[in-house]
Amino acid sequence: MTPIRLALTLLFAAPAALAQDLPAPDADPLLTVSGEIGCTNDGDSAVFDRAMLESMNPVTIETETIWTDGVQSFTGVPLGEILSAACAEGSAIQATAINDYAVEIPRADWEREGPVVAYLNNGEPMSVRDKGPLWIVYPYDSEPEFQSEVTYSRSIWQLDRIVVTE
Amino acid sequence: MRDDTTADSPQGTERYPHWRRTRMAPAIAALLVCAGLVIGIGVLLDRQIEAFSTANSDNLQWTLAQTEVEYLRFRLSLAEAQRDPEPGALARVRRSFDIFYSRLNTLSEAEAFRALRDVPDYEGPRTRVFEFLDGAVPLIDGSDERLRAGLDELKQDALAAQEPLRALTLEGLSAFAEVADDRRTELVRVLGLLGLVLAALFAGLVFLAVFLYRLVNLAEDRERDVTRGAVRTRAIVETSLDGIFVLDGEGMIEEVNMAGRAIFGLGPEEGIGLQITSLFPPEAQEALRDGPFGFLTGDAARSVPPQSRRFESPARDMVGRTFPAEISVGRADTEGAPVHIAYIRDISRRKAAEQGLTEARDRALAGERAKAEFLAVMSHEMRTPLNGLLGSMQLMRDHATTERQSELLDRMQSSGRMLLGLVNDVLDLSKYEAGKMEAERRPLSVERLLDGVVETIAPLAAANGDTLAWEWIGPPHDGCTGDARRLRQVLLNLAGNAVKFTRGGEVTIEVEALGDGDMVEFRVIDTGIGIAEEDVERIFLDFETLDSSYARAAGGTGLGLGIARRLARLMGGDIGAESEPGEGSLFWLRVPLLCGDADAAGEHADAAGPARPASPLDLLLVEDNPINRAVAREMLEADGHKVTEAEDGRAGVHRAATRRFDAILMDVSMPVMDGLEAARVIRDGAGPCRDVPILAVTAHALPEEIAGFHAAGMTDVVNKPIDRDVLARTLAAAIGTGPDVGPAVPRTDRTDPLVDEAHLQSVWTDLPEGAREGLLARAMEEIDATVAAVAASDGPDQAALREDVHRAAGSCATLGLRALHRALADIETALKRGEPLDPLQRAELSTLWAGTSTALARWRDGA
Repeated sequence: MTPIRLALTLLFAAPAALAQDLPAPDADPLLTVSGEIGCTNDGDSAVFDRAMLESMNPVTIETETIWTDGVQSFTGVPLGEILSAACAEGSAIQATAINDYAVEIPRADWEREGPVVAYLNNGEPMSVRDKGPLWIVYPYDSEPEFQSEVTYSRSIWQLDRIVVTE
Repeated sequence: MRDDTTADSPQGTERYPHWRRTRMAPAIAALLVCAGLVIGIGVLLDRQIEAFSTANSDNLQWTLAQTEVEYLRFRLSLAEAQRDPEPGALARVRRSFDIFYSRLNTLSEAEAFRALRDVPDYEGPRTRVFEFLDGAVPLIDGSDERLRAGLDELKQDALAAQEPLRALTLEGLSAFAEVADDRRTELVRVLGLLGLVLAALFAGLVFLAVFLYRLVNLAEDRERDVTRGAVRTRAIVETSLDGIFVLDGEGMIEEVNMAGRAIFGLGPEEGIGLQITSLFPPEAQEALRDGPFGFLTGDAARSVPPQSRRFESPARDMVGRTFPAEISVGRADTEGAPVHIAYIRDISRRKAAEQGLTEARDRALAGERAKAEFLAVMSHEMRTPLNGLLGSMQLMRDHATTERQSELLDRMQSSGRMLLGLVNDVLDLSKYEAGKMEAERRPLSVERLLDGVVETIAPLAAANGDTLAWEWIGPPHDGCTGDARRLRQVLLNLAGNAVKFTRGGEVTIEVEALGDGDMVEFRVIDTGIGIAEEDVERIFLDFETLDSSYARAAGGTGLGLGIARRLARLMGGDIGAESEPGEGSLFWLRVPLLCGDADAAGEHADAAGPARPASPLDLLLVEDNPINRAVAREMLEADGHKVTEAEDGRAGVHRAATRRFDAILMDVSMPVMDGLEAARVIRDGAGPCRDVPILAVTAHALPEEIAGFHAAGMTDVVNKPIDRDVLARTLAAAIGTGPDVGPAVPRTDRTDPLVDEAHLQSVWTDLPEGAREGLLARAMEEIDATVAAVAASDGPDQAALREDVHRAAGSCATLGLRALHRALADIETALKRGEPLDPLQRAELSTLWAGTSTALARWRDGA
């Protein structure tokens, strides 16, 4: 390893080292990430409350969904960003809902732009009755590819926890 | 594919696209049908693809079943909460309620279920379930105490919601089953349609394949034809012996065949791009630009030349050989620029052959002419000795001693006459063939002519026991103008034949003026053996005798009728025959005779053969040339006449005044006083000779001069050199005792011998032995002087020279110095007409004289 590469590595390794110190949530956690992750704030897991999510460069997408009526606006954190924050190293995640509905999402999905872990629908926080508080949505209207049963099955609502798998 | 025939076949332009249209129509229709099918099925498929490419729902059955699952979990959580007093149990109730609520929310809002809202069996239960949920909300969202207090009620309400929820789920399932069924049916229908379309497409493809296969075959056939045509054309072009050049509009050679290269010595790579005119020498180029290469000048009219135009021009090949060439240029309008095709043929061999042929023909003609002339000369020359023989026999008869000798003489004379006749025939023929014969136009009397013919033939007719007579049919005409001699010859021939082939019959000569008297027809009719029809035309051919043995017995060369026909045509008429074998023949002769009222002047009765005057005559001979005088005197005296000489016109007049002569022979050109003047003086005077016949003796008389002779009172003309028989006959005719023979036709023979030795010999023999040497020497002196004078003449004293020339010409004629005589006569004519002498003529004269004197000396040595 050349001295420069070493320096670069050290430089970029610094935030990762900082992530070891994911802040602990102040409120009730909305999402728990566990499994093959490098950054934790609660034992082996990384937990996120609403404030943490709101601080993570949230994005807003506009799209229709097959479960709602009319164009919806969703605000949330891209799935990849959350997993980066947790320093996820696996090839897929197992996302599970409150009612234990679970689905596997491969790494390819979150490494591209697309899936967002939404916490606002039309600017409002989502209750459990409205498929909240977290809902992985894809920008279905932007790509026909997203209008498929596989994507629909991965659009898990009432998201509760994520396990990063090998 | 291009249609090459469109240029020359206007129908082709119509037919070909029509063909294409009709052939292409099914293919196009098939293509259109296929395209329509493909588009139609494409639209259908696109709809299906659209429908299937995006899912409008997740798993509906799962969603429906999961709703019931969440309902049951909610009820389970209620039951648990009733047993478990812990607040966590209430939280679980709330969560399962929320989840169930969200599920039902989905059944209300999700796209897939929205359509079901119009179905009452679905919408009714859904409303009822929602009523339950909404009713439960205050309880769930309320305090733990209230919830715990309301658990039992909630349980009852939830149980009541079970039935509508079940109905809702079942209705959803059945609706989605129908939808799925419809979709499958639709899919099957579309797939079936697709199958049909595919079948149709396949059929179309098969059809197209067949069509294309046929097109390909057709194209291959065409290509083969085109290739074959091209190969054939190339072979034709390359086999051509003519040079073929393909030129562009500027005359640059684009292509040239092998013959073209060979003709111009071009190498295999040479020639292309060369200017065509560079193959011709510069001096020929202008003509070529005006001619076959007119298109180079850009003249539109010329650049469309006729299909072929032959043109000859010298051409020049690469090594500089110039040769005659034949060129023709055609134009081919191909697409784009016109192309000109030049055919160039080396015609040097043809030219050479043509020249060779021309030369050969000229040589042959010259040979033919020489032969004819030889024949003419020979015949002519044979006549003189023959005449000598006949004359001698005649003379001998005067002294005939015994009857036997007289008989032999008769036979000899008869043979001699026959021989003379043959020679005359041949001479006539050759003269005619040599184109030297001309018809005369002189006054003649038809009556006398026919009398003479009858008289001549009468002895033979009598011998054959035939009657012979002539008669006018229609009003008699006389005072005609024509060629009496030729006419007589023809009539004698016809009448002679008639008599020959008739035994104890009749021979009649009919004469009739046709039309307004311009044409006279003579018909010789006999009752003899006749001629078969198929032979009638043949007898007019040369050397034709129908029965050679008989003909020979009758005598004749077989030339008679051939000559008769020639003579008839010479006179502007024709001759023909009609005959019936065994019945007799009719020979007709139709000639133009200008007959008028004028008295026949100078007409003469005729008779064949030399007729000597019954009694000796007393004659005056006026002639300045001593040689001629001597010869004429000798001839006349040989015939028993008495001759008195005078050496010029004045002397002649003088002598004529002394006593009456029976006739006067008067030379025309004489010093002191010429013959015309002398004749006039004698006629105008009151002397004893004022009405005796005066015969002009002249070497060559121009036709206009002959009229002058008559005007001066001269009776007739005798041509020099004097023929004894002609002289005798003319003399006899003049004094009314014998036939007249017109003046001999002036000789126009250009190949005269230098010395006519036979003639000279006969003259020589006729002359007295003592005098002839001196006469010859004097004549030669005289000629020599004249020739010198002519050579030296350049000037004024033409009259004196003319006399000298005339005299010298006379001497030459008498001595048979033919060529010299001819040349001098020409000079005399020129002098008479006042024409300047041709220097060439004068030079020729000297040469001739040199040659003639040498020949004369040689003859003298031999004699």
